[in-house]
Amino acid sequence: MMNVAATEMLCWNAASLLVAVEPEDPKCFAEGMRDLTCFWEEEGSRSPDDYAFTYMYQETNEESSKCALTAQSVGGSKTRYICRLPSVQHFVPLDVSVFQDGRLIYNRNLLIDHVFLLDPPANVTVTQTGEQEQLRVCWLPPALMDMENSMMYEVEYAPTGSHMGKRESVRARSEIILHSLQPDTRYNIRVRAKPDGLSYSGYWTAWAPWVSMTTPPAEMDLLILALCVVISLILILLSLTLLLSYRRFLLKKVWPVIPSPENKFDGLFSVYGGNFHEWLGVGNRGFWWSPTFLLVEESPSPLEVLSEAGFTAPVPVHPMPFKALGLSKKEVEEDERTGGQDSVLMGRRKGKAHPHWVLEQLQSLDQPSVPCCELHTLEPSDTYVSLNYRSQQDSGAMSPLADISEESLPLQVLFESPGTPTSFSDLESVTYSSGSGEISSQSSLEYPYGAWPLKGPSYISMTVTDSGISTDYSHMSWGTTGLGDLAMAYTNEYKNKVPAPRLPPHGHTVYSYY
Amino acid sequence: ILKTTYIFILLFIWTRLGLPSPLRPICDPRVLDRFIKEARDTEFAMRSCSEGCSLAEPLSVPLTSVDFAIWEKGDVSEQAQEVQSGLWLLAQAISAVRVSITSTALHSLLDNSHSNIHSIGQVIRSLNFPEYTPPADGTVHEDTWRVSSTLELFRVHTNFLRGKVRLLLSHAPACRRDST
Repeated sequence: MMNVAATEMLCWNAASLLVAVEPEDPKCFAEGMRDLTCFWEEEGSRSPDDYAFTYMYQETNEESSKCALTAQSVGGSKTRYICRLPSVQHFVPLDVSVFQDGRLIYNRNLLIDHVFLLDPPANVTVTQTGEQEQLRVCWLPPALMDMENSMMYEVEYAPTGSHMGKRESVRARSEIILHSLQPDTRYNIRVRAKPDGLSYSGYWTAWAPWVSMTTPPAEMDLLILALCVVISLILILLSLTLLLSYRRFLLKKVWPVIPSPENKFDGLFSVYGGNFHEWLGVGNRGFWWSPTFLLVEESPSPLEVLSEAGFTAPVPVHPMPFKALGLSKKEVEEDERTGGQDSVLMGRRKGKAHPHWVLEQLQSLDQPSVPCCELHTLEPSDTYVSLNYRSQQDSGAMSPLADISEESLPLQVLFESPGTPTSFSDLESVTYSSGSGEISSQSSLEYPYGAWPLKGPSYISMTVTDSGISTDYSHMSWGTTGLGDLAMAYTNEYKNKVPAPRLPPHGHTVYSYY
Repeated sequence: ILKTTYIFILLFIWTRLGLPSPLRPICDPRVLDRFIKEARDTEFAMRSCSEGCSLAEPLSVPLTSVDFAIWEKGDVSEQAQEVQSGLWLLAQAISAVRVSITSTALHSLLDNSHSNIHSIGQVIRSLNFPEYTPPADGTVHEDTWRVSSTLELFRVHTNFLRGKVRLLLSHAPACRRDST
């Protein structure tokens, strides 16, 4: 009973389907390979005995048969009359006739294999395929013999909440892959089946229940990602290559080399550890003074030799005359160059009683200094040789006498007995207001690089003029103004002759003596 | 291993050559589906047949009805015989109809149907079914039906192909053996 009821319930659903689809009556359908169910609905509630359902297979030698009817009440007023055939034959036309009270009301010719109404596909499963915007739908085909290859299916899918569903048809396969879906969206999917119509035909099955599945979320295209990675790698490699090739250049720009004066100061850092004072005190001074030293060498220091005669007034003659120490090499050379006259002069000087003359000089020095403003008239006949020893240009503590002494040995010898060169400096210090021990000269004025402080009026410079050789010394006569004029005179001459002041060729050398 | 494979290949070739049917089993259902489709088209075309579509004499055609409850329990070789005799009958009927029909368009369809029947016979033979020998007297052992119009004829023709022939081919042991 229960089985019948269940079957009837199923039929009920199928019947509602057929009513909508099949226009002919009676509506017949086959749920399997061995059955056929026919029904029709009538108003009222008449007994099924009032109806007769006969059927006959054509093209066979069989006779017509009668089918037992059952009645069901439908929707209150209607009655459904159902006939189930015990056995069926396929591939032959079936002629069905319904009689009501002996009167034919329905007649229909059908092929049973054309009225299949199967169960909806079972076990519908939806899975993700691993690809973007795709879902795979699988189901079981009807388990009827010979029907598995004769089915077609229809899949309906729509995003949850949307009423715009799409349908896809499938033939002979029990799965489908849905494409072009929205990513990260929940889809509802259902399937129904129908015989394909070639060998068997029928009605669409009822829809299978909805099955939901979410599509995978959108992710970056793998190809684009791979391309980006490759391009970035290439850019990194290029930049590294550039950096490496211009490494030194960039390093100089970013981290510039701190200039070091090492190359200019030899040994300053390596030997003395940067101690500049130490480095100065040892031997390197020559380098400092070399340019000026050369210039100093270039500029001869004139030698003044005062002659014994012709001094109208005792003048404190600087013992320097014999300080041929101030005689530079150049002057010696000049003496030699100018001939033996100078040497003669020198010799003359030498010839004279030098010690005596020196003593006189010394005595004159002891005497209080006489203002130098006295003008000594120089007579041409007189020969004056004034010694001007000029120290080297430094104003350092170094005694220039020492250097000069090296160069003017012959005269120096004369002075050895009276004393060391230092004594002269002492005498000078007495003579000169400056107690520095330095021999002041006007070379400071004459020579721009000199540092010769002008001395006091005690200083007298005598010029030696020759009798009549040159007139160049006319301007050399000094007035009583003293040093200033002298300085100027000498300045004029010596400036022109710096660094190698050439005395005009004449028999006598004029020396300025300071 | 080389020796065994060599021997196996030899045996395989020998068995192949020794088979009565040199044809390979045709198990593709699409072959018959095409024939069925063409038969249906011919049936539809016969509905518009106006002249010469009535047969003077009824023609014997095979029965097309299939009761699955019975068919599933039946003997395959008997079914094969039934199918082949039915095909032979149909071929005979089509040949007879062709003579009476004057329409050239239908002639082509008839010729096509006839050739299809012949092809189906070859398919059946490829499946190692015992060959059917038509009776000499023209009568068949199995039950037949008589049709009196070409429309009926081709309806029977379609139903026969759809039914019995298709069932025979789809459940042929030769095809099952290949699939397993």
